Amino acid sequence: MNPVSDHKSIALNSHNKADGSVWSLKEKFLLGLTPGGYLQAVFKNPVNWVLFAIFAIGLPLIAQRYLSGLGSVTYASNDYPWGLFLGFGLFGMVPLSASGFMLGTTVEVFGRHDFHPIERLALLNGLLGYFFAVVYLLVDLGMPWRIYYPMVISFGPAAVLFLVAWHVSTYLSVQIAEVAPAFFEWIGWLKAKKFIRSITLGLTIAGIILSTLHQGALGALFTYAPGKLHPLWYSGFMWFMFFCSSIPAGLSMVVVVSTICVRSMRWRCDENFLKNIGENTLGIAKGASLALITYLVLKVISVAHDNEWSYLLTDWGRYFLFELFVSIIMPLTLYTIAIKTRSVGLARFAALNTVLGIVFNRLNTAYIAFNWQIYQETPYWKEVMITITIFAIYFVTYRFILYRWPILYTWKGKK
Amino acid sequence: MKRRRKSRMFWLSATGCMALFAGLNGVTAVAGMSISDAPDEVTIDSIAEFYQPVAFNHAMHTDITSGDCTVCHHHTTGSPPKEKPCINCHNGGKEADTVSCRECHLAKPFEAAAVQEQQKDVDRYYHIDKPGLKVAYHLNCLGCHQATGGPVGCQDCHIRTEAGDKLFHAKKR
Amino acid sequence: MERRSFLKGALSAGLAASVVKTEKSEAATFDGYPDGMGVLVDLTRCVGCRSCEAACNKEQGLPEPEKPFDDMSVFDAHGHGEEHAEGHGGGGKRRTDEKAYTVVNKYDVPGIDHPIFRKMQCNHCNEPACLTSCFVNAYTKTPEGAVIYNPDVCVGCRTCMVACPFYVPTFKYSSAFKPRIMKCIFCYDTRLKFGRPPACVEACPMGALTFGKRKELLDIGRQRIRENPGSYVNYIYGEHEAGGTAWMYLSPAPFEKVGFDTHLPKEPILNYVKEFLGAVPMVLTIWPALFAGFHLLATRKDGHGHDETSEEENS
Repeated sequence: MNPVSDHKSIALNSHNKADGSVWSLKEKFLLGLTPGGYLQAVFKNPVNWVLFAIFAIGLPLIAQRYLSGLGSVTYASNDYPWGLFLGFGLFGMVPLSASGFMLGTTVEVFGRHDFHPIERLALLNGLLGYFFAVVYLLVDLGMPWRIYYPMVISFGPAAVLFLVAWHVSTYLSVQIAEVAPAFFEWIGWLKAKKFIRSITLGLTIAGIILSTLHQGALGALFTYAPGKLHPLWYSGFMWFMFFCSSIPAGLSMVVVVSTICVRSMRWRCDENFLKNIGENTLGIAKGASLALITYLVLKVISVAHDNEWSYLLTDWGRYFLFELFVSIIMPLTLYTIAIKTRSVGLARFAALNTVLGIVFNRLNTAYIAFNWQIYQETPYWKEVMITITIFAIYFVTYRFILYRWPILYTWKGKK
Repeated sequence: MKRRRKSRMFWLSATGCMALFAGLNGVTAVAGMSISDAPDEVTIDSIAEFYQPVAFNHAMHTDITSGDCTVCHHHTTGSPPKEKPCINCHNGGKEADTVSCRECHLAKPFEAAAVQEQQKDVDRYYHIDKPGLKVAYHLNCLGCHQATGGPVGCQDCHIRTEAGDKLFHAKKR
Repeated sequence: MERRSFLKGALSAGLAASVVKTEKSEAATFDGYPDGMGVLVDLTRCVGCRSCEAACNKEQGLPEPEKPFDDMSVFDAHGHGEEHAEGHGGGGKRRTDEKAYTVVNKYDVPGIDHPIFRKMQCNHCNEPACLTSCFVNAYTKTPEGAVIYNPDVCVGCRTCMVACPFYVPTFKYSSAFKPRIMKCIFCYDTRLKFGRPPACVEACPMGALTFGKRKELLDIGRQRIRENPGSYVNYIYGEHEAGGTAWMYLSPAPFEKVGFDTHLPKEPILNYVKEFLGAVPMVLTIWPALFAGFHLLATRKDGHGHDETSEEENS
C-alpha cells in the first residue's frame, strides 16, 4: 500500500470523516478508497507481487493436499511422521506467539502501563500466531475435519496432546477476547468492549496459566521419544525449557514486528506509539535477555544432569554448540550491549537473531536432531512451498488488521 | 513316582484312544515295530491346503537311516524317549504306541480348544513347547536335509496349489 | 446462599460420602492382564519364506504387494533412496508401511554361516507408548493382549508414530479422505477375540512363531535357551523392553546385529512423560494465586483500575 500518494487519506482513525459524516463499514474496510482505487494501490505494491507469486504456486498445492492426501505433497514418511507443517508451523510459531501472555501479564498483572502502547500489537501477534499455528495443524492433520474430536467425541486425558488441544483452543478464545477491544472500538460496539475490559485481569491470568502449560506441553511431546531425539536436545525437563525459551521468542517477535511496522507502515503508527517504541523496545530487550540467560543455564544444566559432556565432542555435539551460540549466546550478547548503550537498532537486530534462533532450535528438536540414529530426511519441495504460502497468508492477515484496527494508533472516536 | 505314572497313564490312555481312532483310519499302531512293517511311500496330506500333498519316499529314508526309526520317529515305533527336554524326566520311559506324527502333534495347536486342553495338564509347566504338526514336519526334516544337501526349498518337496499361488500373489507361470 | 442451607448441604454431602463404599484404585499396581497372549519369535528357525507376510496380507485384506511374496529379492532392496544408518534396521532394511503390517528382513552376521531372518510387526506392548500418547483414546490394550486401533476416533495427528519406540505404526498417506493408522492388530477382530492364533503364526512352517500366554512364552524361551546351549543369546528381547511386550524374540546372534534397538528403556515410555504430567495440576493450582498475588503487590499504590483507565488512557 506504500505507493499511495497521501497516506494521511487512508490513515483512518475515527468513526467520522473530515467533514463530520460517518464512515460506512465498507469505506472503513477499504481505508477510505474507492474499490478501484484500492485495487490500484494493491497492484502497485511490489510486496504484493511477491505474494501473488507465492500464492500462484502455493494455493494449488494446498488444494492438492486436501484433494489427493498428504502423500501427494510430502514424502509420506513413516519414520518422520512430523515434517515442516508442525516443525515450523506449530513448534516454531507457537513460541513466537508468546508475546500475548508476556505483554498482557506485564501490563495487566504487574501494572507496567508504560508498555501499554505496544501491548495491543503483542496481543495481536499472539492471536495471529496461534491462529495460524492451528491453520498449519489443519494442513498437517490426517483428518482435519475431526479436529474437534478430542474436545467432545473421545478423550485420551493422559496424553500430552490432549492438554495442548484443550489449552490452545481455550487460549485462542482468551486471545480473541483480549484483542477484541481494538475491533470493538473500530466497529463501534462499546458495550462489548466494556465487558471485556471488566474481565481483563481474569483473562490475563488464565492466559498465563494456559500458556505455561501448553508451551511446556509442546516440549513434553518429545519426551514420548527419548530414544529418537538426540540426548543433547532431549531432557527430562524439556517442557520447562520450551516454556522458558518461549519468553524471549515472543518478546523478540514483537520487536521484530514493531520494527517492520515502524519502517514500512509508519503512516499507520501514531505519535504515542512512535514516541514510546524506543523505550518499549529496550524494556523488552531487558526481559528477553533475562529469559535468554535463564535458558542458557538450563541448557547447560540439562547436559550436566544426564552427564552428556562426551556428546559435545561428536559431530552432533558441535552442531549443538553451534545452535547454542547462534540462538542464545549471540542474541544475549547483542541484547546486553544494546541495553547498556541504549541502542534501539541493535536491540532490534538482537530480536531478529532471537526469533531465528528459537525457530532454529525448534526445527532441530522436531526434525533435524529427531531420528538422529537413522537416516536424515529433507522435506519435499511442495511441503516447503505450502509452509511458505501459509506464512504469506499470515503476513497478509497481519497487515490487513494492522492497516485498520487501532493497534498501532489510538482511536479518536468514543472509547 | 506316583505322579509320573499318573501322567504316563494319561498319555497312554490318550494315545490309546488316538490309536483306536487311527485304527479306524486304517493306520495300524502296534508297539515294537520293525522295518518290515514300514510302508514304502507315505502321502502326507492331512494339512495340504496351499501346497500339494507330499509324496514321501519312506523306503529311501529307512535306507539312509540304516533302519534306526528313532532318527525321525522320536519315542514312537517302539523306542523310549530320547529328545530333549523330555528325557529330563522321561529318561528310560515307556515307548508310545503310535507311529504317525499327527497323533501327538496337533494340526491346529494354537486353537482355543487345544490351549484349554493343555491348561488341564497338571504337568503343564513342563509340557510346554510341543510344536504343531506342520512345524514338527519341517523341524524334523529340514535339519538333516540342510546338512546332507537334501531338498530345502518350499517347492522342492511340495508344489504350491492354486490357492497357494493366490496367497503368495505369485506371478503367473 | 444462606448459611443454614449451605451447612445442611455440606453435612448431608459429608454423611453420604462416608456411607458410600469406594473402591480402592488398582491402577497403580496393575500388573498386566494375566491371560494376555503373546508370540515368541525364534530367529534360529526363520528361513525367510515370507509365508507370514502372505498370510497377513490375506487375513487383513491388504492391497496387492509390489512384489509377490515368493520374491526373495526384497531382502536386498533399499528403502526409498535413503541410506539407512545402522541401528534402525541397518543398511536398507524394510519396515512396515500402509500395505504391510509385517515384514521380514535378512541379516548377514559375521560368524554365522547362514543369514538370519527377522520378522517385524507391532510388538503389542504391555503399556504401549502409542496408547498413552493418543489424545482421542484410539488405542486399546485388550485383555487378550492385542493393542488394537479404532479408526473412527482417530484424527490423524500421528503422535503414536512418534511415540512408538519400535517405529511400527504407519499412516495411510495415500488416502485423502480416509487416512488412518495401519498396523498389526494381532488379528484381533478375526481371530484373537475367538481364541485363535494370528494368521502369521498359523502360516509359519518352521515354528519361528509360537503362540501362547505371555507368561508361558517366557518359560518356553528360557527352556529353549537352556536346552540348546550355544544356540541362543541368553536373553529374551521384549521381556522388559519399553515395559515389556507381548511379542518377544530369541536370537542366535547379538540383538543389535539383527536389527533390534538394544538401548531402549526397560520401563514404559509413559514414565518419561510423567514428570510433565505431574507438573500440570501444580501449575493449574499455583499460578492463579501466584499471579493474583503479584498483581496485588505490584499495583497497590497505582489505583490500578480497568474501567476508568479506558477513558483516560489511550487504550
